[in-house]
Amino acid sequence: MAESAALRSPSRPGTFARAWAKAVGGTSFLPLTHAQLEALLQRLADQLAAALLAEPFDLRPGHRVGAELVANHIASAEGLGRTVEVVQLRLLRDLGLVGDDVEDRMARLLAAVATGYARALRDRTLDEQESIRRAVMMARTQAERALRESEARFRRQATHDSLTELPNRALFTERLTDALNEPGRGAQRIGLCFVDLDRFKVVNDSLGHQVGDRLLITVADRLRRALDGHLVARLGGDEFVILVERTGGTDDVVAVAEAALAAVREPALVDGHELVVTASIGIAERQVAGTTPSDLMRAADSTLHWAKAAGGARWEIFDAERNRRELARYALSAAIPPALERGEFYLDYQPLTSLRDGSLLGVEALVRWRHPELGVLRPGSFIGLAEETGLIVPLGGWVLAEACREAEGWSARGGRTPFVSVNLAVRQVHRPGLVQEVHGLLERTGLPPDRLQLEITESTMMSTTEEPVRALRGLADLGVRIAIDDFGTGYSNLAYLRDLPVTELKVAGEFVAGLRAPAADPGSRTDERILASLVSLAHALGLTVTAEGVETAGQAERLRAIGCDAGQGWHFGRPAPADRILERVG
Amino acid sequence: MQRPDWAPETIDIERPSVARMYDYYLGGSHNFAADRAAAQAMVAAVPEAPLMAQANRAFLRRAVQFLTEAGVRQFLDIGSGIPTVGNVHEIARRTAPGSRVVYVDVDPVAVAHSREILAGDDHSVVVQEDLRHPERILAHPDVRGLLDLDEPVAVLVVAVLHFISDDDRPAEILGNLRDALAPGSHLVISQASDEGRDVEERGEAQRVYRRTDNPLWIRSRAELTAFFDGFELVEPGVVWVPQWRPEAPENAEDAERAVFLGGVGRLGG
Ligand SMILES: C[S@@+](CC[C@H](N)C(=O)[O-])C[C@H]1O[C@@H](n2cnc3c(N)ncnc32)[C@H](O)[C@@H]1O
Repeated sequence: MAESAALRSPSRPGTFARAWAKAVGGTSFLPLTHAQLEALLQRLADQLAAALLAEPFDLRPGHRVGAELVANHIASAEGLGRTVEVVQLRLLRDLGLVGDDVEDRMARLLAAVATGYARALRDRTLDEQESIRRAVMMARTQAERALRESEARFRRQATHDSLTELPNRALFTERLTDALNEPGRGAQRIGLCFVDLDRFKVVNDSLGHQVGDRLLITVADRLRRALDGHLVARLGGDEFVILVERTGGTDDVVAVAEAALAAVREPALVDGHELVVTASIGIAERQVAGTTPSDLMRAADSTLHWAKAAGGARWEIFDAERNRRELARYALSAAIPPALERGEFYLDYQPLTSLRDGSLLGVEALVRWRHPELGVLRPGSFIGLAEETGLIVPLGGWVLAEACREAEGWSARGGRTPFVSVNLAVRQVHRPGLVQEVHGLLERTGLPPDRLQLEITESTMMSTTEEPVRALRGLADLGVRIAIDDFGTGYSNLAYLRDLPVTELKVAGEFVAGLRAPAADPGSRTDERILASLVSLAHALGLTVTAEGVETAGQAERLRAIGCDAGQGWHFGRPAPADRILERVG
Repeated sequence: MQRPDWAPETIDIERPSVARMYDYYLGGSHNFAADRAAAQAMVAAVPEAPLMAQANRAFLRRAVQFLTEAGVRQFLDIGSGIPTVGNVHEIARRTAPGSRVVYVDVDPVAVAHSREILAGDDHSVVVQEDLRHPERILAHPDVRGLLDLDEPVAVLVVAVLHFISDDDRPAEILGNLRDALAPGSHLVISQASDEGRDVEERGEAQRVYRRTDNPLWIRSRAELTAFFDGFELVEPGVVWVPQWRPEAPENAEDAERAVFLGGVGRLGG
């Protein structure tokens, strides 16, 4: 009977193998099809059957069968239990095995199967535990590496400019701070170059940001190469900075600046465009002791603006005196708006006197600033600044309004009430709405238009646009008098005056100054002749002439003799509050 | 449990992992005490849990077998888990030796383990990615390097979708994957369902999984069927996993005890 079992083909599982397969199926996951499982168990059943009958009796096939079950993933406690059960109950019967000691052998063989099974399962469990722990370790290593990489990436992003790969402002400031704080370096010197491309915006605007960006990359590469050994950083936009450590004096930094200018100057081929760019550089160089990163950066930055203002393509060295002056000017201009609000400005007036009869024709309004710390300031110290910054518009507006307001209250005590003459800055004339502003002022204050004179300079009219001319016409239409101030110092073109609604010329004091010398002096005579022809030309155009800067009676007399209409200057009276001037007249 | 991209995950074996709990249900020892404790809690709540896992894994095996017989040679197994027994490449290569397989999982330990098992195998790769970013999976250089998307690919999303919340728009995720596939490609899905189960049991199961990084999203047969949008379901459609092309009719008995529904769809055109 044993033979029949041994001879059966493994591909045709018998009753026992099928029962065994059914018993263990579902005890754990099996990657096998049911047919494969039955075939496997048939093979193992055959081995068990052979072992039961073998002479001499050998337990090793039992161990092997147990191990093989586990190797084939019938690897659970239930799998073993069911196997013991089904073999014990059915193997002998289903295969028809008989023998004297077959029951005995069966017990011992089953024990061997269980032993082999348990050993294999234990090994497998340990292997799996080991491999999952190894996986955890690998995953941790991996995670740590990812953490380090992301930290490095993060650090790089935080300290480098992504476009040019140069260190950024943060890293630069860090290095500069370290360099300044390093112990024992106080006596050494250190320098900075602030580099800014000239007219870079034009490249961006005309060729697009991509070309602009590529140009920045090229410039960055060149700076890095040309200034090997110095820290080059990009501060943003087209602004770069170079740190020059351990300098022996400004010359060392100038050499670096020269190298940077040369590197930038090389024509750059970007996207098929040959671009020639220049740079401006601000240099600050000083002893380490007593300076701070922000001091040094600020100094180099303002110096850069000097280089720009001087036309670019150059370096400039920081100059403390110049910087101090600029700071003072800056502070002063910043103080104008609050000063306007607090009413720190007031007006003085200077008489405009008739040369014919000595009567007071008008007064020129002159603004003063009662500065809380600097005392009373004359226009010379703040009007230029206000013009540069545009603050002249509110300030000039205030002067105009205040002059109209005060002038309205003046009354003629015997004679004509003087007009008030107010200076208009270029910006004020170019602003739309000036005519309306003046119109509104006259309405509000009730000042008759012919008692207001507006003084403009020649340069105001030297504009290619129609705006100023239209404004003048509008003002003239209101009935306001219009004077050309400082005539003779600029373009001095009488021809264009013909077409403008101007009523008066104010001749600059320089011409009048010549009349102080004795009449016999040849230079003085020349000035007198020039003035005389100017006066007659003006009269021919229907303009009156006022001479500025009249300081002596002699000057006044000579001016009267050549037909000049009016005079202004110390000889006739210094600027003073309105009531003082008016009472003198009255 | 979204983690910002720059922050690497921590590997905390005190926290149960669904990948290792699943290994435990399947009788494996690739798990730790916390995984076993959670899995035992799950078995206490739903005694069929091990059976579910086995039935699901058997479904995966039959589906892969079916796909290789249908001529598919490329597999993208997303949420592939801890490789234990009956991995996709082993099953596929029994029928089609050159089959290429990409394994994708979010669990770093599952990924590390897979890498070790597959070291030296030129026809498979392991990618650590999240099913919720299908575009990243599709664009991953290792995926691109191994799979030719102009040829049919079988995408396996087996026992994973119940870890994807409705807020993550699973239908859109599957749509993105579908749009990248060539005609003749297939989609295999299985996921836990609560059809015919009582509410209390479902609540228990969800409580257990809240301990992990992957809370459970149980879905209905209709929802699962809708996931095959754009695919033609192959016979017998969306069924309890033991009913899907069983090897023997009796294997499909008591099929609903398996809790998992599954199906295979084919991309026509
Ligand atoms: C239950 S296992 C399934 C394993 C295998 N697919 C199977 O059916 O035999 C689920 C696997 O999905 C992974 N998983 C969960 N959420 C995932 C996601 N958002 N993206 C990728 N894998 C995810 C888990 O880490 C786990 O390994």
